Amino acid sequence: MPAALHGDVDLTDPEEQTRSRALNQFLAGVELKAFKIAQAALRHEDDALDAVQDAMLQLARAYSKRPPEEWKPLFYRILENRIRDMQRRRTVRGRVMAWLPLRHGEEDDEDFDPVAHAPSQDPQPVRQLELEEAVGALEEALQRLPRRQQQAFLLRTLEGLDVAQTALAMGCSEGSVKTHYFRAVQTLRAQLGELS
Amino acid sequence: MSAANESVTQFERNARAALEESVRRIDARTRSRLNQARHAALAAAPRRAGWRRFTLMPAAGAVAAALLVAVVLWQHAPQRTAPAALDAPRAAVVEDMDLLTDNDSIDLMEGWDGPFYEWAAAQSDPGGESRG
Repeated sequence: MPAALHGDVDLTDPEEQTRSRALNQFLAGVELKAFKIAQAALRHEDDALDAVQDAMLQLARAYSKRPPEEWKPLFYRILENRIRDMQRRRTVRGRVMAWLPLRHGEEDDEDFDPVAHAPSQDPQPVRQLELEEAVGALEEALQRLPRRQQQAFLLRTLEGLDVAQTALAMGCSEGSVKTHYFRAVQTLRAQLGELS
Repeated sequence: MSAANESVTQFERNARAALEESVRRIDARTRSRLNQARHAALAAAPRRAGWRRFTLMPAAGAVAAALLVAVVLWQHAPQRTAPAALDAPRAAVVEDMDLLTDNDSIDLMEGWDGPFYEWAAAQSDPGGESRG
Protein backbone atom coordinates (compact mmCIF):
# COMPACT_ATOMS: atom_id res chain seq x y z
CA MET A 1 0.00 0.00 0.00
CA PRO A 2 1.49 3.34 -0.88
CA ALA A 3 2.39 5.69 1.89
CA ALA A 4 0.14 8.34 0.41
CA LEU A 5 -2.87 6.49 1.80
CA HIS A 6 -1.64 6.39 5.38
CA GLY A 7 -3.50 8.94 7.44
CA ASP A 8 -2.14 12.43 7.30
CA VAL A 9 1.32 11.70 5.96
CA ASP A 10 2.99 14.79 4.64
CA LEU A 11 3.04 13.91 0.95
CA THR A 12 5.49 16.66 0.20
CA ASP A 13 8.14 15.18 2.50
CA PRO A 14 10.02 12.39 0.70
CA GLU A 15 11.81 11.32 3.88
CA GLU A 16 8.50 10.92 5.70
CA GLN A 17 7.09 8.96 2.79
CA THR A 18 10.09 6.66 2.71
CA ARG A 19 9.91 5.98 6.44
CA SER A 20 6.18 5.31 6.36
CA ARG A 21 6.61 2.95 3.44
CA ALA A 22 9.47 1.15 5.20
CA LEU A 23 7.43 0.77 8.38
CA ASN A 24 4.48 -0.57 6.41
CA GLN A 25 6.74 -3.04 4.65
CA PHE A 26 8.33 -4.14 7.91
CA LEU A 27 5.02 -4.67 9.69
CA ALA A 28 3.57 -6.50 6.72
CA GLY A 29 6.62 -8.78 6.76
CA VAL A 30 6.40 -9.70 10.45
CA GLU A 31 2.69 -9.63 11.24
CA LEU A 32 1.86 -13.22 10.27
CA LYS A 33 4.88 -14.76 11.98
CA ALA A 34 4.31 -12.58 15.02
CA PHE A 35 0.75 -13.80 15.15
CA LYS A 36 1.90 -17.43 15.10
CA ILE A 37 4.42 -16.76 17.86
CA ALA A 38 1.79 -15.00 19.99
CA GLN A 39 -0.72 -17.74 19.28
CA ALA A 40 1.74 -20.43 20.36
CA ALA A 41 2.32 -18.56 23.62
CA LEU A 42 -1.24 -17.50 24.39
CA ARG A 43 -3.13 -20.41 22.75
CA HIS A 44 -5.93 -18.05 21.89
CA GLU A 45 -6.47 -16.41 18.52
CA ASP A 46 -8.08 -13.15 19.63
CA ASP A 47 -5.56 -12.65 22.42
CA ALA A 48 -2.76 -13.25 19.92
CA LEU A 49 -4.26 -10.68 17.55
CA ASP A 50 -4.54 -8.16 20.37
CA ALA A 51 -0.94 -8.75 21.39
CA VAL A 52 0.33 -8.26 17.84
CA GLN A 53 -1.79 -5.15 17.36
CA ASP A 54 -0.51 -3.63 20.59
CA ALA A 55 3.07 -4.41 19.62
CA MET A 56 2.57 -2.79 16.22
CA LEU A 57 1.07 0.33 17.77
CA GLN A 58 3.81 0.68 20.34
CA LEU A 59 6.55 0.19 17.78
CA ALA A 60 4.98 2.76 15.46
CA ARG A 61 4.42 5.30 18.22
CA ALA A 62 7.66 4.99 20.15
CA TYR A 63 10.28 3.53 17.85
CA SER A 64 9.37 4.35 14.25
CA LYS A 65 12.07 7.02 14.19
CA ARG A 66 14.72 4.47 15.12
CA PRO A 67 16.80 2.91 12.32
CA PRO A 68 14.77 0.23 10.50
CA GLU A 69 17.39 -2.44 11.21
CA GLU A 70 16.53 -2.11 14.92
CA TRP A 71 12.82 -2.58 14.39
CA LYS A 72 12.68 -6.37 14.36
CA PRO A 73 14.29 -7.12 17.75
CA LEU A 74 12.45 -4.14 19.26
CA PHE A 75 9.14 -5.35 17.89
CA TYR A 76 9.60 -8.85 19.27
CA ARG A 77 10.72 -7.45 22.59
CA ILE A 78 7.52 -5.42 22.78
CA LEU A 79 5.47 -8.43 21.69
CA GLU A 80 7.09 -10.61 24.33
CA ASN A 81 6.33 -8.06 27.05
CA ARG A 82 2.75 -7.86 25.85
CA ILE A 83 2.40 -11.65 25.85
CA ARG A 84 3.80 -11.81 29.37
CA ASP A 85 1.34 -9.15 30.55
CA MET A 86 -1.56 -11.04 29.04
CA GLN A 87 -0.44 -14.30 30.57
CA ARG A 88 -0.22 -12.64 33.99
CA ARG A 89 -3.68 -11.16 33.61
CA ARG A 90 -4.99 -14.51 32.48
CA THR A 91 -3.50 -16.18 35.54
CA VAL A 92 -5.19 -13.65 37.82
CA ARG A 93 -8.45 -13.96 35.92
CA GLY A 94 -8.21 -17.77 36.14
CA ARG A 95 -7.85 -17.57 39.91
CA VAL A 96 -10.89 -15.31 40.16
CA MET A 97 -12.97 -17.40 37.76
CA ALA A 98 -12.13 -20.56 39.69
CA TRP A 99 -14.46 -19.24 42.40
CA LEU A 100 -17.33 -18.75 39.96
CA PRO A 101 -19.60 -21.47 38.51
CA LEU A 102 -18.50 -22.69 35.06
CA ARG A 103 -20.59 -21.64 32.06
CA HIS A 104 -20.11 -23.97 29.14
CA GLY A 105 -19.42 -22.63 25.68
CA GLU A 106 -19.23 -18.98 26.67
CA GLU A 107 -16.13 -18.39 24.56
CA ASP A 108 -17.35 -20.34 21.55
CA ASP A 109 -20.69 -18.70 21.02
CA GLU A 110 -19.72 -17.00 17.75
CA ASP A 111 -21.00 -18.57 14.55
CA PHE A 112 -18.28 -20.39 12.69
CA ASP A 113 -17.71 -18.96 9.22
CA PRO A 114 -16.21 -21.65 6.96
CA VAL A 115 -15.35 -19.14 4.22
CA ALA A 116 -13.53 -16.82 6.56
CA HIS A 117 -11.63 -19.70 8.12
CA ALA A 118 -10.72 -21.33 4.85
CA PRO A 119 -6.98 -21.77 4.20
CA SER A 120 -5.62 -19.04 1.98
CA GLN A 121 -3.46 -21.39 -0.15
CA ASP A 122 -4.13 -24.69 -1.84
CA PRO A 123 -0.87 -26.69 -2.10
CA GLN A 124 -0.59 -30.08 -3.74
CA PRO A 125 -2.59 -32.73 -1.82
CA VAL A 126 0.15 -35.22 -0.80
CA ARG A 127 2.64 -32.60 0.31
CA GLN A 128 -0.22 -30.71 1.89
CA LEU A 129 -1.15 -33.72 3.99
CA GLU A 130 2.44 -34.26 5.13
CA LEU A 131 2.81 -30.62 5.99
CA GLU A 132 -0.48 -30.57 7.84
CA GLU A 133 0.65 -33.50 9.97
CA ALA A 134 4.03 -31.90 10.61
CA VAL A 135 2.45 -28.55 11.42
CA GLY A 136 -0.06 -30.07 13.80
CA ALA A 137 2.56 -32.17 15.59
CA LEU A 138 5.02 -29.30 15.82
CA GLU A 139 2.43 -26.85 17.12
CA GLU A 140 1.36 -29.27 19.80
CA ALA A 141 4.93 -29.99 20.82
CA LEU A 142 5.74 -26.27 20.84
CA GLN A 143 2.90 -25.57 23.22
CA ARG A 144 4.34 -28.07 25.67
CA LEU A 145 7.73 -26.36 25.71
CA PRO A 146 8.71 -24.01 28.52
CA ARG A 147 7.94 -20.46 27.48
CA ARG A 148 11.56 -19.30 27.09
CA GLN A 149 12.50 -22.33 25.02
CA GLN A 150 9.43 -21.87 22.84
CA GLN A 151 10.28 -18.21 22.34
CA ALA A 152 13.91 -18.85 21.48
CA PHE A 153 12.98 -21.59 19.05
CA LEU A 154 10.31 -19.58 17.22
CA LEU A 155 12.37 -16.40 16.99
CA ARG A 156 15.37 -18.28 15.65
CA THR A 157 13.58 -20.78 13.41
CA LEU A 158 10.47 -19.03 12.20
CA GLU A 159 11.52 -15.40 12.28
CA GLY A 160 15.15 -16.08 11.46
CA LEU A 161 16.66 -13.78 14.08
CA ASP A 162 20.31 -14.37 14.86
CA VAL A 163 21.51 -15.05 18.39
CA ALA A 164 22.22 -11.39 19.19
CA GLN A 165 18.83 -10.21 17.89
CA THR A 166 17.07 -13.00 19.75
CA ALA A 167 18.88 -12.03 22.95
CA LEU A 168 17.73 -8.43 22.49
CA ALA A 169 14.16 -9.54 21.81
CA MET A 170 14.11 -11.87 24.80
CA GLY A 171 15.92 -9.50 27.12
CA CYS A 172 18.59 -12.00 28.08
CA SER A 173 22.19 -12.88 27.26
CA GLU A 174 23.27 -14.59 24.07
CA GLY A 175 24.41 -17.54 26.15
CA SER A 176 20.91 -17.93 27.55
CA VAL A 177 19.47 -17.84 24.06
CA LYS A 178 21.80 -20.62 22.94
CA THR A 179 20.87 -22.69 25.97
CA HIS A 180 17.11 -22.23 25.54
CA TYR A 181 17.32 -22.91 21.83
CA PHE A 182 19.44 -26.03 22.23
CA ARG A 183 17.10 -27.47 24.84
CA ALA A 184 14.08 -26.69 22.68
CA VAL A 185 15.57 -28.45 19.68
CA GLN A 186 16.54 -31.47 21.78
CA THR A 187 13.05 -31.75 23.26
CA LEU A 188 11.28 -31.32 19.93
CA ARG A 189 13.52 -33.81 18.20
CA ALA A 190 12.91 -36.33 20.94
CA GLN A 191 9.17 -35.96 20.47
CA LEU A 192 8.91 -35.51 16.69
CA GLY A 193 11.95 -37.16 15.16
CA GLU A 194 13.26 -35.27 12.15
CA LEU A 195 9.84 -34.02 11.00
CA SER A 196 10.55 -35.33 7.52
CA MET B 1 30.51 -30.72 11.02
CA SER B 2 29.44 -33.69 13.15
CA ALA B 3 26.57 -35.99 12.30
CA ALA B 4 24.66 -34.73 15.32
CA ASN B 5 24.97 -31.12 14.18
CA GLU B 6 23.96 -32.06 10.63
CA SER B 7 20.94 -33.85 12.05
CA VAL B 8 19.93 -30.77 14.05
CA THR B 9 20.27 -28.65 10.93
CA GLN B 10 17.99 -31.01 9.02
CA PHE B 11 15.48 -30.88 11.84
CA GLU B 12 15.60 -27.08 11.86
CA ARG B 13 15.06 -27.03 8.12
CA ASN B 14 12.02 -29.28 8.40
CA ALA B 15 10.71 -27.36 11.37
CA ARG B 16 11.05 -24.10 9.49
CA ALA B 17 9.17 -25.54 6.51
CA ALA B 18 6.37 -26.71 8.82
CA LEU B 19 6.19 -23.36 10.59
CA GLU B 20 6.14 -21.46 7.32
CA GLU B 21 3.32 -23.70 6.15
CA SER B 22 1.40 -22.90 9.32
CA VAL B 23 1.88 -19.20 8.54
CA ARG B 24 0.61 -19.71 5.00
CA ARG B 25 -2.47 -21.40 6.39
CA ILE B 26 -3.52 -18.41 8.42
CA ASP B 27 -7.11 -17.73 7.44
CA ALA B 28 -8.43 -14.68 5.57
CA ARG B 29 -10.23 -13.23 8.59
CA THR B 30 -7.06 -13.16 10.66
CA ARG B 31 -5.06 -11.70 7.78
CA SER B 32 -7.66 -8.98 7.38
CA ARG B 33 -7.55 -8.12 11.07
CA LEU B 34 -3.76 -8.00 11.02
CA ASN B 35 -3.92 -5.75 7.98
CA GLN B 36 -6.28 -3.39 9.80
CA ALA B 37 -4.04 -3.43 12.87
CA ARG B 38 -1.05 -2.52 10.71
CA HIS B 39 -2.80 0.46 9.17
CA ALA B 40 -3.96 1.61 12.59
CA ALA B 41 -0.35 1.45 13.77
CA LEU B 42 0.87 3.39 10.74
CA ALA B 43 -1.73 6.07 11.34
CA ALA B 44 -0.58 6.33 14.96
CA ALA B 45 3.08 6.82 14.07
CA PRO B 46 4.31 10.33 14.91
CA ARG B 47 4.66 12.57 11.87
CA ARG B 48 7.26 15.20 11.30
CA ALA B 49 4.50 17.13 9.53
CA GLY B 50 3.01 17.79 12.96
CA TRP B 51 6.20 19.52 14.06
CA ARG B 52 6.32 21.40 10.80
CA ARG B 53 2.81 22.67 11.35
CA PHE B 54 3.78 23.72 14.84
CA THR B 55 6.91 25.56 13.69
CA LEU B 56 4.99 27.33 10.92
CA MET B 57 2.39 28.71 13.34
CA PRO B 58 4.29 31.95 14.18
CA ALA B 59 4.85 32.66 10.51
CA ALA B 60 1.20 32.04 9.73
CA GLY B 61 0.21 34.32 12.61
CA ALA B 62 2.46 37.08 11.31
CA VAL B 63 0.96 36.82 7.86
CA ALA B 64 -2.55 36.95 9.30
CA ALA B 65 -1.66 40.04 11.38
CA ALA B 66 -0.17 41.77 8.35
CA LEU B 67 -3.31 41.05 6.36
CA LEU B 68 -5.47 42.46 9.16
CA VAL B 69 -3.44 45.67 9.28
CA ALA B 70 -3.64 46.00 5.51
CA VAL B 71 -7.42 45.64 5.58
CA VAL B 72 -7.78 48.20 8.36
CA LEU B 73 -5.57 50.72 6.54
CA TRP B 74 -7.45 50.19 3.32
CA GLN B 75 -10.77 50.81 5.04
CA HIS B 76 -9.56 54.13 6.51
CA ALA B 77 -7.65 55.38 3.48
CA PRO B 78 -8.99 58.67 1.78
CA GLN B 79 -11.27 57.97 -1.17
CA ARG B 80 -9.83 58.88 -4.57
CA THR B 81 -13.23 58.82 -6.28
CA ALA B 82 -16.14 60.66 -4.71
CA PRO B 83 -19.58 59.15 -4.43
CA ALA B 84 -22.04 60.24 -7.16
CA ALA B 85 -24.21 62.30 -4.75
CA LEU B 86 -21.31 64.62 -4.08
CA ASP B 87 -20.55 65.39 -7.74
CA ALA B 88 -23.07 68.29 -8.28
CA PRO B 89 -22.08 70.53 -5.34
CA ARG B 90 -18.44 69.93 -6.15
CA ALA B 91 -19.08 71.04 -9.79
CA ALA B 92 -20.75 74.26 -8.60
CA VAL B 93 -17.80 75.04 -6.39
CA VAL B 94 -15.51 74.53 -9.36
CA GLU B 95 -17.59 77.01 -11.46
CA ASP B 96 -17.41 79.63 -8.69
CA MET B 97 -13.69 79.14 -8.58
CA ASP B 98 -13.56 79.83 -12.36
CA LEU B 99 -15.46 83.07 -11.96
CA LEU B 100 -13.28 84.19 -9.09
CA THR B 101 -10.09 83.47 -10.96
CA ASP B 102 -11.27 85.06 -14.24
CA ASN B 103 -9.46 88.46 -14.36
CA ASP B 104 -11.46 89.78 -17.29
CA SER B 105 -14.78 89.32 -15.55
CA ILE B 106 -13.49 91.07 -12.44
CA ASP B 107 -12.23 94.03 -14.53
CA LEU B 108 -15.58 94.25 -16.24
CA MET B 109 -17.39 94.36 -12.93
CA GLU B 110 -15.02 96.93 -11.49
CA GLY B 111 -15.28 99.24 -14.58
CA TRP B 112 -19.05 99.06 -14.83
CA ASP B 113 -20.36 102.27 -16.44
CA GLY B 114 -24.12 101.96 -16.42
CA PRO B 115 -25.15 105.20 -18.19
CA PHE B 116 -22.65 104.62 -20.98
CA TYR B 117 -23.94 101.14 -21.73
CA GLU B 118 -27.53 102.38 -21.66
CA TRP B 119 -26.67 105.18 -24.13
CA ALA B 120 -24.77 102.78 -26.38
CA ALA B 121 -27.74 100.44 -26.42
CA ALA B 122 -30.07 103.27 -27.34
CA GLN B 123 -27.79 104.30 -30.21
CA SER B 124 -27.84 100.85 -31.70
CA ASP B 125 -31.60 100.51 -31.30
CA PRO B 126 -33.45 102.46 -34.12
CA GLY B 127 -36.75 102.54 -32.25
CA GLY B 128 -35.16 103.64 -29.00
CA GLU B 129 -34.61 106.80 -27.04
CA SER B 130 -33.69 108.92 -30.19
CA ARG B 131 -37.18 108.51 -31.49
CA GLY B 132 -38.61 109.44 -28.14
